[in-house]
Order: sequence, then C-alpha cells, then structure tokens
Amino acid sequence: MRRQLRSRRAPAFPYGSRYRLDDQDEVNQNYLADEEEEAEEEAQMMMASNSEEEKEEEEEEEKEEEEGQGQPTGNAWWHKLQVINEYLWDPERRMSLARTGQSWRVMIRPFAHSLNFNFNVSEPDTWQHYVISLNGFLQGYNDSLQEEMNVDCPPGQYFIQDGDEDEDKKACQFKRSFLKNCSGLEDPTFGYSTGQPCILLKMNRIVGFRPELGDPVKVSCKVQRGDENDIRSINYYPESASFDLRYYPYYGKLTHVNYTSPLVAMHFTDVVKNQVVPVQCQLKGKGIINDVINDRFVGRIIFTLNIET
Amino acid sequence: MRQRKLEIYSVEHHAATDIKKKEGRDGKKDNDLELKRNQQKEELKKELDLDDHKLSNKELETKYGTDIIRGLSSTRAAELLAQNGPNALTPPKQTPEIIKFLKQMVGGFSILLWVGAVLCWIAFGIQYVSNPSASLDSVYLGTVLAVVVILTGIFAYYQEAKSTNIMASFCKMIPQQAVVIRDSEKKVIPAEQLVVGDIVEIKGGDQIPADIRLLSAQGCKVDNSSLTGESEPQSRSSEFTHENPLETKNITFYSTTCLEASTSPVGTATGMVINTGDRTIIGRIASLASGVGNEKTPIAIEIEHFVHIVAGVAVSVGILFFIIAVCMKYHVLDAIIFLIAIIVANVPEGLLATVTVALSLTAKRMAKKNCLVKNLEAVETLGSTSIICSDKTGTLTQNRMTVAHLWFDNQIFVADTSEDNLNQGFDQSSGTWTSLSKIIALCNRAEFKPGQESVPIMKRVVVGDASETALLKFSEVILGDVMEIRKRNHKVVEIPFNSTNKFQLSIHQTEDPNDKRFLLVMKGAPERILEKCSTIMINGKEQPLDKSMAQAFHTAYMELGGLGERVLGFCHFYLPADEFPETYSFDSESMNFPTSNLCFVGLLSMIDPPRSTVPDAVTKCRSAGIKVIMVTGDHPITAKAIAKSVGIISANSETVEDIAKRCNIAVEQVNKRDAKAAVVTGMELKDMSPEQLDELLANYPEIVFARTSPQQKLIIVEGCQRQDAVVAVTGDGVNDSPALKKADIGVAMGITGSDAAKNAADMILLDDNFSSIVTGVEEGRLIFDNLKKTIAYTLTKNIAELCPFLIYIILGLPLPIGTITLLFIDLGTDIIPSIALAYEKAESDIMNRKPRHKKKDRLVNQQLAVYSYLHIGLMQALGAFLVYFTVYAQQGFRPTSLFHLRIAWDSDHLNDLEDNYGQEWTSYQRQYLEWTGYTAFFVGIMVQQIADLIIRKTRKNSIFKQGLFRNKVIWVGIASQIIVALLLSYGLGSITALNFTMLKAQYWFVAVPHAILIWVYDEMRKLFIRLYPGSWWDKNMYY
Repeated sequence: MRRQLRSRRAPAFPYGSRYRLDDQDEVNQNYLADEEEEAEEEAQMMMASNSEEEKEEEEEEEKEEEEGQGQPTGNAWWHKLQVINEYLWDPERRMSLARTGQSWRVMIRPFAHSLNFNFNVSEPDTWQHYVISLNGFLQGYNDSLQEEMNVDCPPGQYFIQDGDEDEDKKACQFKRSFLKNCSGLEDPTFGYSTGQPCILLKMNRIVGFRPELGDPVKVSCKVQRGDENDIRSINYYPESASFDLRYYPYYGKLTHVNYTSPLVAMHFTDVVKNQVVPVQCQLKGKGIINDVINDRFVGRIIFTLNIET
Repeated sequence: MRQRKLEIYSVEHHAATDIKKKEGRDGKKDNDLELKRNQQKEELKKELDLDDHKLSNKELETKYGTDIIRGLSSTRAAELLAQNGPNALTPPKQTPEIIKFLKQMVGGFSILLWVGAVLCWIAFGIQYVSNPSASLDSVYLGTVLAVVVILTGIFAYYQEAKSTNIMASFCKMIPQQAVVIRDSEKKVIPAEQLVVGDIVEIKGGDQIPADIRLLSAQGCKVDNSSLTGESEPQSRSSEFTHENPLETKNITFYSTTCLEASTSPVGTATGMVINTGDRTIIGRIASLASGVGNEKTPIAIEIEHFVHIVAGVAVSVGILFFIIAVCMKYHVLDAIIFLIAIIVANVPEGLLATVTVALSLTAKRMAKKNCLVKNLEAVETLGSTSIICSDKTGTLTQNRMTVAHLWFDNQIFVADTSEDNLNQGFDQSSGTWTSLSKIIALCNRAEFKPGQESVPIMKRVVVGDASETALLKFSEVILGDVMEIRKRNHKVVEIPFNSTNKFQLSIHQTEDPNDKRFLLVMKGAPERILEKCSTIMINGKEQPLDKSMAQAFHTAYMELGGLGERVLGFCHFYLPADEFPETYSFDSESMNFPTSNLCFVGLLSMIDPPRSTVPDAVTKCRSAGIKVIMVTGDHPITAKAIAKSVGIISANSETVEDIAKRCNIAVEQVNKRDAKAAVVTGMELKDMSPEQLDELLANYPEIVFARTSPQQKLIIVEGCQRQDAVVAVTGDGVNDSPALKKADIGVAMGITGSDAAKNAADMILLDDNFSSIVTGVEEGRLIFDNLKKTIAYTLTKNIAELCPFLIYIILGLPLPIGTITLLFIDLGTDIIPSIALAYEKAESDIMNRKPRHKKKDRLVNQQLAVYSYLHIGLMQALGAFLVYFTVYAQQGFRPTSLFHLRIAWDSDHLNDLEDNYGQEWTSYQRQYLEWTGYTAFFVGIMVQQIADLIIRKTRKNSIFKQGLFRNKVIWVGIASQIIVALLLSYGLGSITALNFTMLKAQYWFVAVPHAILIWVYDEMRKLFIRLYPGSWWDKNMYY
C-alpha cells in the first residue's frame, strides 16, 4: 500500500538514494550520511518500480537511452545504472545534475536581521520590535481570516489535490489559536515581558515536496553548546510539536494562493537568565537531514537567547 | 676567453606608467638626439687622432716603452694588463635576469592586476577588522589575481629565455692565440693578454689580435671586408702611406684577417700593438653600436598602444562605475570590489601570453626556414618593413672573388659565377685557351690546404688571396688537379706580385720532355702586361700586336672594368732553349731573363658575384612594396654593377650620370627627375644636409650608397626612419653593426657574419640567403593579420564579462558571473583557441600588398574595437544573459523579479527569500543558485566564443572560402574550450572556491542559437565588405 502510493506519483523518498550516491562518488560532502541501510534498500526498490514511468520524461537524456539498451544485461548492472542515472537525473525534480538539494530548510520568527535574541525584560524597548514583528507575521493566521479563506482538512494525511495544473488549489487552515500561549491572543507580548519568549519556527516552502508519511516532522530544541540545564523547559504549540501532513504538498503560490505555512511555536518558559544560551532547534523525522555544515538552515536552526532581568 | 652573451631584449609592455612619463620624455628626446650626434662625431674624431702610423720605429719604442727586438718585459706587460684591462671587447651591457623577470611581472596589464589584488587584500583587511567572520571571497580573488600575474609573468619570461638559449649556442668563441715577443722570447699567449707595446708576429691566415702598427712585412695582405666592406684584399707593409690611419698601409686592425705574409725566411709579419680591446677601431665601432638606442619594435609599439587602449577603457569604466556605485549609496568597500571586478573583466589576462606564444610559434616556423629570430618581437617587424638597406658584400654577394669573364681571341666569354659553378660552358676548343689556362694554373701561388679531396672544389679552403683563390678554383674546375699540373711544370723561379711591379711572374720547365724550353708566365694589371707584349695570341697563333688589336684590348678592358670587375692580363713567353739551357740559373733579384716582347694571351675578370637567389628575392620585395637600398663600403662602380645584376637598380632605369653620358651633356644639365636610380658615395653623403638626404631618399626609388663608413650607414638608416619607414638593415660586417642596431630590424648573416653583426642584429639568416628575408616578410605580415584576429577574438568576450557587473551595480540583479569565473574564461577556455588563430593561413596574397603604414595601420584600430566590443560583444552578452535568465527562471526566479533583488539576495540573514512560486530560499541555497548562474553565464560565453573563433578565421573572405577544416588547430581549440568547460562544471563543480556547479545538460544549448546568429551576422558583414569595397560599410566594418 505504501509503495503503491509512492510509485504513483513522483517518489516521496528523495534522500536515501542521493545519500548513497554522494557517499559513493564522494562528490558531495555537504550531506553527511547517517541514514540507515533500510532506507537505501527501499530507495533502490522504489527506483526500479519508477523507471517505466520516468522514461518518457527522460528522453532528452542520452545516457538514459544507453541505459535502456543496457537493461537486459543483468540485474546488478541494471542497479548500478539506476544509481548512476539517479545521480545524473533527478526524476523527482525532473532535472539532471542540479543539486540544489531537496531538504527542509527552517526559519524562525521574529526575524530581526540577526539570530541573537538579546533583550531586557524590564526594558520594553529592547523587545518591543520582536512583538511587533510577530504580530505582523501572524496577521495572516488570524482565525477569522483562516476560516474565511481556507478549508479545514483532515489531519494526518497529505492534502493532495489532483486536477489541472492551473486550477486554483485550496489551502488548509492554520489558525493563530493553534499556537495557544504563543498566539499573542492571551499574552500580547508573546512572553517577552515575562522573560519567557516565544519563537515561531517554520519550514521553507518547497513546491511539490512532502515530508515522509507516517510520523509527521517534529521539532525539538535543546542547548547547542554548554550546560543542557540552561534550558529547563520548553513548551511547543501545537502540542504535538510537529508539522501536520495535511499542509503538504505545496502547489506554488500561483495556484495555491492562500497557503499558510504551518508553524511550531517554541515557548522558552524556563531559560537561564543573564547569559547567552545557544539554542539549536532541529527537525526530527524520517528522511530529515539536519546536520549539513554548509547550509546551517537545513533541518535545523541555531540561535542564541540572552534574557536579562 | 672572451665571454660574450647576446643581449636578448625582453618583451616589455609598459602600460599606464608610460603615459605619464611620455610628456617629460619628449622634451628630453631632442637633447638626447643632439648628444648622440655629438658622441658620434666624437667617435669619428678619435679615429683620426691616431698618429702611430706616422712615427718611426724609434719613436714608437719610446712612446710605448718597449723594445722591438726584445719585446716587453713580463712584469711591464702584467702592469699594463692590470692598467688597461684585457684585450677583449666588453660584452654589451646585459639586463640582469632578475630585472628581466621583474619587468615581466609589472609590464603590460600586470600592474593593473597587482593593484586589483592589493585592493582586494586591503578590502578584506578592513572587512576583517569590522567583522572577523567576513567572507574570504576577496582574499581568494586577490590571491588568484596575484597567481595569474605571476604565472603569466613566468610564462613570458620562460618564452624569452628559451629564445635566448638558442642564441647562446651561437656564440661559442674559440679562444684566440697570439705569438708575442716578451723578455726576448717568443711566446704563445691568449690574445686577451696582449697589451699595448707588445711585439707580435702574424702569419698568413691569422686573425689580427689587436690594432697593430706593422714594423716589418712584405707581401702582407689583409681582408678588411668586415671593417670596410671592401671585398678585395688590401696589401699591408711597414711604410707610412696615408695620413688617414684607416687607409695607411702600416696599420692592421683588430679582428680583420691576415691573408698572406711572406717575410722571408719565416713567413711572418711583425708589428707592435698600439691599441687593445675597446680602444681598437673595431671596439669603437662596437661601442658605437651599443651606444645606439635600441628602437622599440613596431609590434611592441602596437601592443603598447593596445594595452593603453584596453587599460584606459578598464580604468575609466571602473572609476566611472565606482563613482556611480558610491553615488548609489553602496558601501565604499563594495564599490572597490566592483572596481576590481570591472578591471578584471576588462583586462584580457591571457592575451599577452597568447601573443608571446603566437610570436614564438612564428619564430619557430621561421627558424625552420633558416631565419633565426633573436628578439621575439622582431618576428613581425619584417612584415611591416618598407625599406631594406642591404649591405653588399657577403649579403647580396657571395663574398668571394669568382672569375666572371674572359677575353681571348678578341672575344668576351662569360664564366659561370653561381655558387657551385661546376659547368663552365664557354668555348674551350681554341689554342689560345690552352695557353691561357696554363698561365692561370701556373702563375699562381695559392694552394689548397691538404686533406680536402672529398670537399667540393668551391668549398675547399685555400691559402692565398682572394683573386688567386678564384683563379685556382677556376682552373681546378676546368683543368682538374692543378697541383699535379704545377708538379709536372716545375717552377724554377718566381717574382710575387707587388704594388710597384703590378705583375707576378714565374718560370717553369714544361711538362713536354721533348721541349727543353722554359716557359715564362706572367699576370698582372692589364695595361702593364700589354706594355710588355709585342705579340698577341689569336686562335692559338701568335700575331703581331698591332694598333687595331690594342684598340680591341682597350675596349674589352673598359667593358669589363665598367662591369665593376677586377681585370687581370695574362701573357707568356717560351724562353729560347739556346739562350736559356736547362742548367741556366735564374735569379729573381737581378731578373736575368726577358720581361718584354712577350706574347699577350688574354684578359680575365673577376668579381664577387651576387648570390643566385638574390635577384628573385629583390623582385619579390619590390612587388611587396618594399624599397631595397644598397649600402656598401665598396667602390661605386662595383656597387652599381652588383646593384644592376641583382635588380636593385632595374634594367631600364638610369642614374643622372648615365643620362648625362647617353645624351652627352654635363651632369648638371640633366633633369634630376628623369633619373630613377642614384648612386651616392660616402664623400657626397658627407656634404649632404639631412634635408637633402631626405629628399634623395624620397625621390629616388632605386638608390645605391657606396664608400660609406659605419657612421654614414647609421645616418642613412636614420634618414629612412625619418620618412616614417620601418627599416630593415642586412649586413655581415663589423662596419654594419651600428646600423643593424639602429634599424627597426637588423638582419645578420649566420655563416659569414661577424660576431659584432650577429650581436647587434635582431634576426640571423642561418643560410646567408637573402631570399630568407622574403620568407620573413611573409611570415611577419601573416602574424600581424593573425594577431589582429586573436585580439579581436579575445576582446569580444570582454563586454560579455563586463556587462554583468554593470548591470549588477545599476539594476541589482543577483551577480551573473563571478570574478574568478571570468578568469577561467580568460585563462582557461580561451587560451588555446586564441593561439590556434596564429595557425590561420593568409586570406589573400599578402606579398602583393604594400607594407602597412606604421602610424595608420594599427594592430588594434577603432573598427576592430567597435566591432568586437559593440557588435559581437553585445550579442554575446545578450546570449549569456539569456542562459542566466533561463537558469533562474527554471529555478523559480522570473527575470522581472530579479531586478533590484540584490540587497535581499545578498543578505546572509534572510533565509526564507520567496521566489515566484512561493518557495523559500536560504542564503546558502541562493548562493548555490548564484554559482549555477555563474556556470551558466560562463557556458553561455564559451558557446558563443566558439562561434566567435570561427568567424575570426577571416576578416574579409567567407569562412567557406577559407575552408572550415583547413586549420586543424582551430578545432583543437574548440575541443579544448568544450573540454575545459566540462571539466570545470562537472569535475571541479564541488570545489567551493571556484564557484562552479554541475549545470543541467540542456543549459549548454541555450546560447547555441545566439552563436549561430553571430556567425550569420559576421558572414553578412563580410559579404557587404566584398560587395561594396570602399563604401561606408567597408570603411567602418573592416578591421
């Protein structure tokens, strides 16, 4: 069942194969392989099943044609070629050798040209701009607006909308109220006035891209360097600390007009005060990469909190 | 040992620094010129100062503190040696290797790039101070720039050094020895150790080791041809005969050759050293040569001009946009980075290296054809040469006397004078010839050096003077073994030639055992021989010498003399057996035998004949629009005769004197405009003002200068240069060396040339073949055309490289191409193709057009710049932008959304920049896309440069006429472009510092239609040029 679903559409398993390839060819060291063997096997199986469908699209690729001829010579050979093919031609994005990789990047709000949050609880001037930024950002998430524009779709599964490409797509609601204490509805200062700041985390939108089926992508934050006890508690909203599958895939802003990125709010309720605390928030889940060195925003984000009292 | 290294002039390109200097220099120039003139006069005076030839032996002894019999003491000699230095010419001043190397490092565009590199580092320094995590990009760039400059510098230096090495093998000097009397003992010492006052002995065949005042000598002859250009041997004796030290007989000069010295009993001449080393006449001429400033070669001037243009454009555009950037509120540091990028984009980093390679390729090709180029830049100079001043002796002629004509039986016969003259085709059946040939063979003291049986006759080494050598070889060719003939006709007595007798006589036993008579044979100056004769042999029979015969003799004598030939008369006499029995004792002192009433047999004339290839070469030069002028130290009559026979004075042109003679009027009455040719002697030249010389040079297409001194040769060359001509000088003698140096290109003879000449020359003809010059002209013109093509090709992409930065600054697009990526075009994909253009064949017959005008036909002219920059260059930029926009659009950024995106795009903190599809990009993702854009832009330029390369094969003809596949190297170039690009994109795509990414296959083809468009456009351009010659289009679109 699972496999069927994958093979019908473009593969929902973009990393495993890439991993293996990068490993083998030692070309791309950007991605550090830590995926399990299982995933690789799955990927290969999947590719085999995909190949028929993909062929039509790959006509312009010379190597593809060669490969087609080489097919009968043996299974191992065929696998190898598949691997090479995957390397040269990315069926998921329908491009060859373009490796602007497909993995979730994350970003946080408030956005203040810097990832260092320094403020003094007793001096509103130092945190007022965070509040303004968050408020502004959340205007599009207002419950009334969401209810008016978007639909309430069932959680736990992709919100797949087949049909014409130009056809307008519906978007799932993500209400501000989902964020509870970090929604700014109860506490208009998002906790900044009490030294318990809210920080919102979102995944960068990628057209057509979907997280793994099954457990949705979770967010987890911890102290990046230093004493783990510097952060004693964090509350996540929604409580699942995850991005629900119903918000995926994204169809692009031309047709998916009112799409609202799902958010996870991190409420740092008990952080050591008067010192710089480096925080790393990571995405966790199947097929999630979160330790790329070059791009520090792949599957994780690092920022510092320095709350003075 | 004399150490002589040749001076090799490095390719120096002075860029911006020169512009500033120029003003200051102009004023100084006049002074310099004046100073130089004075210096030359000074040199002339010094020659005249010499008065040792007037002194008696006693006076000489006191003057130099020596003793004629015992020589100098060793201690005194050592003192003098320490005081005056060794007897050797100071080698020309040499630029130290390190200076040459450094010059390569700062010449041309290098200084611009150095400035760029330093600015990069400074910019980084400032960034670092304010933000220690500043990106290393500018450090990379600065380092890459420095590496580029150093590498191209090393490369150019290596190229230069390579040609130096070829030359070094040419000057292996054999240390010269001299026999000297010191401490009353004869010693053999290296000539270098001779000092003034030394008494030396000279044998025939020796090189004169210093300037020497002869003390005792008889029958001594020297070959002064390398000093004065006279091909005839000069006799020398101990008498003072002339006020002028150059003309007097009792002085012989350093580095000339003593041909013969016959003081009995040892066969040597003795003399006293009066000047050594640089103070000798040769030394003075040599220093005169090194005093002559080395003119910049035309190609160096052209390259400098081009560098100025490009550097000017680069700096002014850079500064303009720096100001614009600052006005647009860019950070000053950013503006500086823009400035650097613009300069880097504008400067064709690889071009000068390419030009060097192209020149050295041509140099190699020419070396194969026996033209060795010492100075790489001189490769082109012959191509733009408009006047060739050629020395006569050894250059146009073979520099050896050869029998040219014979007169006997009242008839003139022509002998073969070609280099190998093996077939003497004249009628040899007459009895007179039998007698004449016997006299030629017997009355001759020259001998072959032993052990040369296998050597062709004309190449054998002979001991004896030039005329006797000629006669010996002549008779050896015709009669066979002359030595054997002489053995059979045993010589009983001889009187050698001397200047008072003006004849040479010997008496032989005949080879016929039945004939007991002695045979007296005599040769000498024809009029003297005739005086001694009462009969003349006609058809083998003796006839009385009547008036009509005497008249015939005079006519023939005048005719042969008029040909510039040296005429000898021959007569013989069989001594009656009753008066002179076998036992008769002949005495050469008392001359106890008859020397009158002899039987005249014939005349024979000799000349130093022209090389057989010269006339053809002169014709070719003429048709190539090059004026050939003969400049020689020899006599006007000989000079004119040779000039006529090689075509320097064409068959139907006359001199003023010729016209006067033909019309029987005074020379003054002749309209000077009627004469096409002129023969001017050194004496006449001396009285001419520079204006008169200019007029002479301008008005006569055919000119011969005779009896000229080295200084006058220099004046002639300067005169030609005043006419804006590019002057080539060919020569082989020491006397030519100042002119060789002064000329735009000096061409020396490789075999016969003296070291001084080879030193001063820029080019050496290894086979001494004047016609190699024609090859040089052809190659020079070809390389000029091809360099034009190379430069046009290279300049084109500069616009495509420059536009990205301008648009980045003004319109705020994400940067389309990085500075380092640019360098990969300039020094990667474009290098081999631009060299490949040097292999292109000529478009039309380049030997039928006029030489280019030094000041009008520039290497890089306005048309070339405009067409390359604004036509093809802009098309290329558009094509490259097309690829760039395609890549961005496919990734989600539509072209319109890119404008003014720069600030957001470049912001490190903005990690969710939205594209046209609503996708969000982190800064690293954007950077990766930017690099993909660089790669795409790079590929776009590369693809269009292929088309650019193909269109540059011709400037006027259709590519299809030139042949797409004739120049295979072009295809190697195209292949190299593609391979380098593939390697960069797929091979090095993961190295961060290089900013390349793996580009999708289809993006490689986006610019192809543009490339085709470029080709079609250029074909149209060429078509219209061919269709409408002389039209506006032709004038503006032909480069």
